[in-house]
Amino acid sequence: MSTPPPARGPAPPAATYVADDIEVMEGLDHIRRRPGMYIGGTDESGFHHLLWEVVDNAVDEAMNGHASEIRVTLEPDGRTAEVSDNGRGIPVDVHKKTGKPALEVILTTLFSGAKFDNKQYAASGGLHGVGAAVVNALSAQLDATVRRDGARWHQAFRAGRPRGGLTRLGADRGRGTTIRFSPDPEIFGDQTFDPDTVRQHLEISTFLNRGLRIVLDDRIRGEVHTLVHEGGVADYLQRLAKDGGTSPAHEQPFTLTRAADPRLDIALCWTDGTSERWSSFVNGIPTRQGGTHEQGLKDAVVKAVRSWIDLHDGALPRGIKPTAEDIREGIVAACSLFIGRPQFQGQTKDRLNNPEVRAQVDGLARAALERWLLENPSVADAVVARVVLAARARLASREATQQVRRKSAVNRKLNLPGKLADCSTSDARRSELFIVEGDSAGGSAKQARDREYQAILPLRGKVLNAEQASLQKVLANNELSDIVKALGCGIGKDLNLDRLRYHKIILLMDADSDGHHIATLLLTFLYRHLTPLVDAGHVFLAQPPLYRIDAGKKTWWAADDRERDRVVKRLPPRSRPEISRFKGLGEMMPKTLFETTMDPARRRLLQVQVPEGARLETDQVVNDLLGKDPRSRFRAITEYMDLVDALDV
Amino acid sequence: MPPTPTEPQAVALHEATRQRYLSYALSVITARALPDVRDGLKPVQRRILYAMDANLKLRPDARYRKSAAVVGEVMAKYHPHGDQSIYEALVRMAQPFSLRHTLVDGQGNFGSMDGDAAAAMRYTECRLTRVAMELLTEIDQGTVDLRPTYDGQHEEPEVLPAQLPQLLINGAEGIAVGMATRIPPHNLREVLAACVALIDQPSIDTAGLCRFIPGPDFPTGAVILDGPDVLRQIYEDGSGSVRVRARWAREQRGRRALVVISEIPYSLNKASVVERIGELVAARKLPQVVDVRDESTDQVRVVLELRDESDAEAAMAYLFRHTPLQTPWHVNLTCLVPVPGAPHPVPMRVDLRTALQAWLDFRQLTVRRRFQHELDRLRERIHILRAFAAIFRDLDLAIRLIREAEGRRDAQERLMDAFDLDDVQSDRVLELQLYRLSRLPIADILDELEQKLIREAEIEAILASEAEIRAVIRKELLDLKKLYGEPRRTSFEAGAELEYRESAYILQETSYVVLTRDGWLRRQATPPRADKVRVREGDEVGWVLQGSTRDTLTLFTHLGVAYATRVDDVPATTGYGEPVQKHFKLADGERVVGAVILEPQATVTAEEGADDDEDWPQGVAVTAGGRGLRFPLGGHSQPSQRGGRRYLRLDDGDPGVIHVAIAQTGDEQACIATRAGVGLAFPAAELTATKGAAKGSTAIALKEGDAVLAFDLSAAEDDGPTVVSAKGQAVVIRPDRCHGKRGARGKELLKKDPFALWTRRPTLQTDPPGADAPAVAAHPDGGED
Repeated sequence: MSTPPPARGPAPPAATYVADDIEVMEGLDHIRRRPGMYIGGTDESGFHHLLWEVVDNAVDEAMNGHASEIRVTLEPDGRTAEVSDNGRGIPVDVHKKTGKPALEVILTTLFSGAKFDNKQYAASGGLHGVGAAVVNALSAQLDATVRRDGARWHQAFRAGRPRGGLTRLGADRGRGTTIRFSPDPEIFGDQTFDPDTVRQHLEISTFLNRGLRIVLDDRIRGEVHTLVHEGGVADYLQRLAKDGGTSPAHEQPFTLTRAADPRLDIALCWTDGTSERWSSFVNGIPTRQGGTHEQGLKDAVVKAVRSWIDLHDGALPRGIKPTAEDIREGIVAACSLFIGRPQFQGQTKDRLNNPEVRAQVDGLARAALERWLLENPSVADAVVARVVLAARARLASREATQQVRRKSAVNRKLNLPGKLADCSTSDARRSELFIVEGDSAGGSAKQARDREYQAILPLRGKVLNAEQASLQKVLANNELSDIVKALGCGIGKDLNLDRLRYHKIILLMDADSDGHHIATLLLTFLYRHLTPLVDAGHVFLAQPPLYRIDAGKKTWWAADDRERDRVVKRLPPRSRPEISRFKGLGEMMPKTLFETTMDPARRRLLQVQVPEGARLETDQVVNDLLGKDPRSRFRAITEYMDLVDALDV
Repeated sequence: MPPTPTEPQAVALHEATRQRYLSYALSVITARALPDVRDGLKPVQRRILYAMDANLKLRPDARYRKSAAVVGEVMAKYHPHGDQSIYEALVRMAQPFSLRHTLVDGQGNFGSMDGDAAAAMRYTECRLTRVAMELLTEIDQGTVDLRPTYDGQHEEPEVLPAQLPQLLINGAEGIAVGMATRIPPHNLREVLAACVALIDQPSIDTAGLCRFIPGPDFPTGAVILDGPDVLRQIYEDGSGSVRVRARWAREQRGRRALVVISEIPYSLNKASVVERIGELVAARKLPQVVDVRDESTDQVRVVLELRDESDAEAAMAYLFRHTPLQTPWHVNLTCLVPVPGAPHPVPMRVDLRTALQAWLDFRQLTVRRRFQHELDRLRERIHILRAFAAIFRDLDLAIRLIREAEGRRDAQERLMDAFDLDDVQSDRVLELQLYRLSRLPIADILDELEQKLIREAEIEAILASEAEIRAVIRKELLDLKKLYGEPRRTSFEAGAELEYRESAYILQETSYVVLTRDGWLRRQATPPRADKVRVREGDEVGWVLQGSTRDTLTLFTHLGVAYATRVDDVPATTGYGEPVQKHFKLADGERVVGAVILEPQATVTAEEGADDDEDWPQGVAVTAGGRGLRFPLGGHSQPSQRGGRRYLRLDDGDPGVIHVAIAQTGDEQACIATRAGVGLAFPAAELTATKGAAKGSTAIALKEGDAVLAFDLSAAEDDGPTVVSAKGQAVVIRPDRCHGKRGARGKELLKKDPFALWTRRPTLQTDPPGADAPAVAAHPDGGED
């Protein structure tokens, strides 16, 4: 890699706690006694951890520009692994302080690695210098072969202890280090390397280290894989998106590559998926539970998108206020961070906890994201469109969730509109909902009803014309959304007739022109947005009486001309009846309203249907009369002028 | 009525919808929103006037009564709708700024042109005006049909016997279903003159009537900008749009020059207009105006305080364009017109002649019925008078017969036999008071009989001839014209357009535009210090350009597109400013590589620009691929669309323009450094000059895999762009070190040490080029994109 090495200050996480202690221990006994402290346990993950440590050392060599290829070999027995690189090779000269070869010192002493002094390594994963010694201590057998200084050198170890010294095997022009080891069954029991796990881990390494080339010689299965990803984290992102079955919402993902201070790689894009997927790593180790680095990136994404929106007036449609979740919906992101003193938290130690990291990642990623959005207007437009979609979906789903919540038996009344005077029974088949025009009529209907099964919902004023409005607008309308809430069956694609709370929905309007208008508006709404209700025969029109007959001090109501004549004939001969057309429901005493219009025994309901043969015509009529085109409305009105028998003057 | 449980009847949704909707629509059309051509009133207005006259006797000489009394009466007896809608209709009829001749005489606060609502109906008082009485006085003369009210308890007139064509005089506005109406008010004198003309020459057409009615006459006065042809077309079609504009004049107050607006377009809310003007002034969109005040009392008086006396036209031109002080007023002469055979009047869009003729026909009918009514009463009287005359001829006999009679009925019968009277006559004779038998009253009665007979003959003559009736109408119209006629308030000023020049509204100020390499843009009034300018992290100041707010800022991007905006439109924000992507539609990744402020020049066509090659200053561009060209700047001196205009076309695979520099004189040297470490300098004038966007010519012959890293112009032999090599050595590309020809290979300046970085200084511009350069004769149109 061509990036210059930066200065960093790595130190082992447990340094202050083990330093004196462990150095006085004879050799590596402590590691063998308490392997959990070093590799997290002796289970499968600890077993593989040994391999990771060795690989990480090789990767460090490669990432610092000294090696170009790493070869990992799994022997057929599954218990032996070999990792070799073509790097500088571990030094073999004599270490001044100990008088032993450096190789032996590195493999047998904690805190002996070159990674402590920053001179040799810039960034490193692994256990920061304890790795080789720990692996050695926990291996039944370890062979280190080094090619450097024109020769090939070898030294063997058992349970961390050297078996013989360093030997020169002969002249060799090559360079590099090969570590071959078998984890000690005394510690790990009867475990073997899992080729899939190994391959996945190695592949992630190649994702996180752009250009790194690892050859996996899997002799367990007899396969050889060459792993290399020139795109680095961006390639990983693509893999993630594809695995999730989602497709990107915009061209070109966002990438941020920072070689040092801290080394940070980010790739992210918005997809059509509905969840967020964050994949983060610290020092090459997956942090499955995220942590401060991931949080910093999340902050950055939200702030950057918000700041773009703030800069561009009118970027959002009116009434849309995206939350942080809306902004992040559909994001697939990969983030890899290398830092000196990672602190991990959580049961599995896979959440980063360094508090300073959050602001650091946020600051770096936000500036880059803002720039990326500004310089790529088409991407920014696509991202904002995606965010708006998420916000809209949230609003819609909130409505749907409320519908669902309403259904739960315990609090089914809690979400009903306040104006609804509900009935006592919860048997939908018996229940009737009267939708009544105006509060004055609603009042008499409320007093008149049989509260056992008749519910009243008064509407105030004229409702929205659903023919000219979107579902969103319809739901935003108080009167219409009250109806939807009262019905309980949901609307649009969430509509479920099983949840319908009343099997008879009866429109009860004044017999004047405004009453007629409201009836048509409601029919249009039911027809366009709650079609299944109409089709299932749940919608009715009440027929209040047409005539009012006053004679002497008494008043009669007649539903039609025949009944009016019958009433008049039965009057005493000398009385002079005054007959007038009935106008408002408020004119009637509640009792009369019940007797004439609401009592199932006496009322005359009209059941609204869409006849099979008239589907097209229905659509046409509703669209002509209530649609957006004033010309077709004008045509329809003049054409049918003669059909109207009742003129309200 | 035995209860009979009934199965619900089925009804098709479309039938139920259609029936109900049409019922609603027709009701609104015929009985709510549209006025009747005959009396010009909507039902609610008619009911208010009728109730005030017939029930409450609120005539012009009566005491005022509370509006609430009127509303209550109307609501209870005639109009079963909300009290507020009735009161609003009442209030409108009392507003002198709504009706040309008010029908209600209001006492108290009846609202204002500022949109203030009237006081509540429990406070205000009202009675009818004299004009309103002209719609009502004939009502008890059998002139119009009455019909039962909604509840059958009372009767109301189907239409008022309007003696004036009130539809045109006061106008009307209403939105029905599937149709609407908007009739402007007119001058009473003119309308009546037109009616008289129509009586005199029944064949006159709308165009002919327009000689009498040249156009609307709004109660709020103002000015109509359209000429006779436009107005005639509107009156012939029954619809169209009239441009109405406020009336204004200059005034001087001390040393202050003022514009005073004294009349505003009809149905405009004055307060909101003043507020709008105030916003424009506050937003510094209108530099000519310093302050705006509404000094109105009952007279409109909106005062604009001017910066300078000469600013008046420009200020008004701006206001007429950006506020409703000039408004298109849409006319739609839709009303209800009685049609023979139809039970109700039907909605119709009418032309002017039809409207007047329909009213005249109605008037003809009304007057005929009035005379018929008079004749009927007259004949009844004559009948009685004749009986009295017969009795008086033999009074003694009559007295004797009565004295001999056995009771009243017997007396009546004796009289009927003796004098040949009928029941009614004999009854009235018996009712005579005794004093009537004295000499004088007898003479009176005979006299009256004679008079009545003469009048009977007159009326019979009138009724026998339509022409006679028309003559009566004609005379009455002329009387009314004399009585109520007023001079016109709205005047015509066809073609009185004010010149509108956008640049007149930009305050000319010196501005400094700061543009960063990342494309963040802002301007400030004071010269910025490059080291004090706030930029985002990693960004740096690229250009600091001085110019006037009326100049044009043109940005050149690496993809060969130039984007131009007025300096005035560059955000004058503090902080980082705004990204150029907010102002222009840049492609993804498109970067600014050059910027200049230019004085706007009229766009010149390419033919005229034949010899512009040597006009300086010019833009000089070099691409990473080694192509270069120069181009005149005139074509970029006007603001562009968001999409910009192209100044250069890139070769395939060329990463883009490195830099666009401005050559002031044409004597500059083009200095180029490549990544491979080559430098080349040659006279910029050697580059091809292009009209329109072209690919240019080879500026430097690049080696395979090499690319231009830096390009700039240098006016001195020992100065040029500074580049830094991979090994960290800084090199100035000086013309004297690497002279060559355009298209040469250049000179390798460092051995085995390629150039890595171009360290650039911000580009500074103190004056827009062209400001003092000789008039740029012409330039190609770089506008195609």
